[in-house]
Amino acid sequence: MSEHDRSQLGAYALGALEPDEVREMDEHLATCPECRAELAELEEMKEFLGEVPPEAFLDGPPADGDLLLQRTLRQVRTAPEPQKKQRSRWLWIAAALVLIAGALGGGVLIGRQTVDQVAEPPAGSRQVSTTDAVTGTTMDTTVEPRAGWSWIQVHLTGLTAGAECEMLVTDKSGKTWGAGSWVVSEKAARDGSYFGGGVLVPLDQVRSVEIRTVQGKHVVTTAL
Amino acid sequence: MAIAVTERLWATAVPGIVRTVGDYRGPDAAEALIRSLYAEHGRSLLAYATRLTGDRAAAEDVVQETLVRAWKHADDLTEGKGSVRGWLLTVTRNIVTDRARARAVRPAEVADVEDRPPVESDHSEAVVNTMVVLAALDKVSPEHREVLVELYYRGRSVNEAAKELGVPPGTVKSRSYYALRALRAVMAGTEPEVAR
Repeated sequence: MSEHDRSQLGAYALGALEPDEVREMDEHLATCPECRAELAELEEMKEFLGEVPPEAFLDGPPADGDLLLQRTLRQVRTAPEPQKKQRSRWLWIAAALVLIAGALGGGVLIGRQTVDQVAEPPAGSRQVSTTDAVTGTTMDTTVEPRAGWSWIQVHLTGLTAGAECEMLVTDKSGKTWGAGSWVVSEKAARDGSYFGGGVLVPLDQVRSVEIRTVQGKHVVTTAL
Repeated sequence: MAIAVTERLWATAVPGIVRTVGDYRGPDAAEALIRSLYAEHGRSLLAYATRLTGDRAAAEDVVQETLVRAWKHADDLTEGKGSVRGWLLTVTRNIVTDRARARAVRPAEVADVEDRPPVESDHSEAVVNTMVVLAALDKVSPEHREVLVELYYRGRSVNEAAKELGVPPGTVKSRSYYALRALRAVMAGTEPEVAR
């Protein structure tokens, strides 16, 4: 092949030519710097194409995916609306105000206290209240600082009597620590269940506290 | 967070190619969004997640989380000018990677540890590229795009693609050349933004 046949170059770069066409092209390229330069540019595009997975060009719904769709819809129906962040913040403040009111024995003069001032029964403690949208369990969590570790107390409402629960604490490196397990009594299911445990994680490194059943079912998670 | 950065990059890099997903608030709208994303992209996402995880059940969990995140970020999908599928595929990959990492730092669950390495150590660069390239492909003509899909992504030869597309082999050849040139032109236009 003596002429520049550019139209072959694209297919050559993409590896789609027949063996004899490839041989012809190789021979031409060996003698033609112009085509070699152009080929280099086309091959660069091939590398970009490699950034997209081939699955990107499949369309439609998956086969046998109906359960997946139903599960997803259920999750979205039961999850709070996307602007949840703001709202959970207000819940937290509301919970803190209830605590203040309780501490004052009637809620007098709470107007001027800031949330931060009150959220420190032992100095440096952190308190968060969370309700899981799916299980309906509410958890008030208090994390108290200790020398290099933390003491974590939770008060849970909405648990089922007889449930075997465990408390897991995740630190900011992503490591998860066990902080004990217990069974929910009739009374605790009715009136709320208290539990506490210590973990060898400094308070400022505690990322989240999760309660789940010993069988592995998620109950509620609080982010700190 | 990586996602947010990408979205912004994305919006500036590739204007104006996306189908919008509308304003999805409230339970009915949320359901409509999930259903439409699932109907249009479900197969693509599940196939991708299945390849990355090597496990259909795990892949379904990943796709479920991808769709829920899309719903939570519906505003970005609407405002961002990117390819919705590029966004979804990127989120899918991030979730798979994050889960692989989470498993790696939690040796306690021995039963969960799989016999495969994490998908990628750092996907931030690829994240931008997946979306940018997919958007660039959206910008070339359908004839050019389908030739690239056949030859590159489906690994077909010129003759096979010609049969598949119902055009002569010579047309497949010339289209593949002009398709790569067109892609280069589009990419060149966006490159300065992406490099930032």
